[in-house]
Amino acid sequence: MLDIGGRRIGLYRVGEKLYALADRCPHRGAPLCSGAVATAVELRDGELVLGTRNGIVRCPWHKWEFDIATGRALADERLRVRRYSVQVQNHEVVVSLDPRRET
Amino acid sequence: MLVDCDIHVGYETVADLIPFLDGPTAELVRHSGTHGLAMPTYPWNHPTGWIRRDLYERGQGHVADFVYMSLDTLRARHLDPYSVDMGIVEPDEAAVFSVLPNSQLAARLCSAYNDWLLDSWLQPEPRLRGMIVVPAQWPEAAAREIRRLGSRDEFVGVFLPGGARVPYGNPMYDPIWETANDLGLPVAVHTHYESIGIAGPITAAGMPDFYSEYHTLCGSGMYGHFVSILCHGIFERFPDTRVAMVEGGLVPFVGFLWRLDTNWKGCRSEIPWCRRRPSDYVWDHVRFATQPLETPDDPAQLLRAIEFLRPSETLMYASDFPHWDFDEPEQTLRQLPAEWRDNIRWRNATEFFRLPVPVAVRS
Repeated sequence: MLDIGGRRIGLYRVGEKLYALADRCPHRGAPLCSGAVATAVELRDGELVLGTRNGIVRCPWHKWEFDIATGRALADERLRVRRYSVQVQNHEVVVSLDPRRET
Repeated sequence: MLVDCDIHVGYETVADLIPFLDGPTAELVRHSGTHGLAMPTYPWNHPTGWIRRDLYERGQGHVADFVYMSLDTLRARHLDPYSVDMGIVEPDEAAVFSVLPNSQLAARLCSAYNDWLLDSWLQPEPRLRGMIVVPAQWPEAAAREIRRLGSRDEFVGVFLPGGARVPYGNPMYDPIWETANDLGLPVAVHTHYESIGIAGPITAAGMPDFYSEYHTLCGSGMYGHFVSILCHGIFERFPDTRVAMVEGGLVPFVGFLWRLDTNWKGCRSEIPWCRRRPSDYVWDHVRFATQPLETPDDPAQLLRAIEFLRPSETLMYASDFPHWDFDEPEQTLRQLPAEWRDNIRWRNATEFFRLPVPVAVRS
């Protein structure tokens, strides 16, 4: 968890990639990043399977799940956490406060 | 054109089914108990009778002390005066077969009832269509009964009562859903026989004291089935499935759907086969019969309360004739906006039950 000039940002690593999410759930404003990091349960060809390992964060309040890589709620794609761009420069992690451009 | 999705007919006593039963079961019906085979029934009695008093004759010496409404009475008092073009026949006492502890007896009684219905009502009156009564407590036998009759034009769906041992989304019922889906038949879940036989209690509060309580709460089983069917992903696994909720009211479904939609967001990982929000399945697969239309003092309050259900697309007119709380067609339709009425009067039901529509109506 980072505090950059009063902005609380959660820094996550999924596989080899880094992601930064605002510590604010778009549903009701809960401190999203204090929620558990987990692996999504998905249905593939009729079987329950696990999604990307540790690929979601689950809001501590109402348990809505968000894909860390995209910021989108699994239950409602229109709902998205604010994301920040993260880069590794000279062995340092640099988080840009400019909201990440939609990808 | 007018389609009535909920007309009840019934036999006077189970003995009426004897000509349609195998020998051993006919013997059981004749000699069981002290007056022949008795069905379990409600512990609550309507204080003044649950059938319209103008539709039956008393004092014919039958156990039930009335002669049930005849086909001639149904024609003269309902089909003709209200110009009902198509009436979907739901069972009265025969709905109890699927909560009998003896599932083998239930299966035989269901088959006999369906044959009796075909012989006594559906074949003599082309305006009527039947719902197949099945032993829900024995899904494999239920599936066989659906296959036996489901391709006949006289039957247009499968009937399941609100009272049940296990909610209808449970995988034990897959043979029923699979067969109905294969034959393109809709399933009607209709309040009946909650708390009776092997059915679960009408509410977890315990048994109500009065008929007035029972009749207010009687949709409880249907709400359980409705939520169960949605949470088990029946519409994902059996994509041609259509379900009608008959006689459970309208407003309660709004509240349960809002609550389920919200819960699904937080509990999605438990039921990941529900890829869409539960209410999104409802718009494509579920229809609601109008009776008993809730009647607040201000009719505008009803419209606001049910707006979420997309009533113009999901409601189908139902009378519940000849029961005491039946709704006349115009009494129902005049409470709803004029632009919804054609859909609710016939269009939604003919699509749902896949009924023939006369060319004159279509054009």
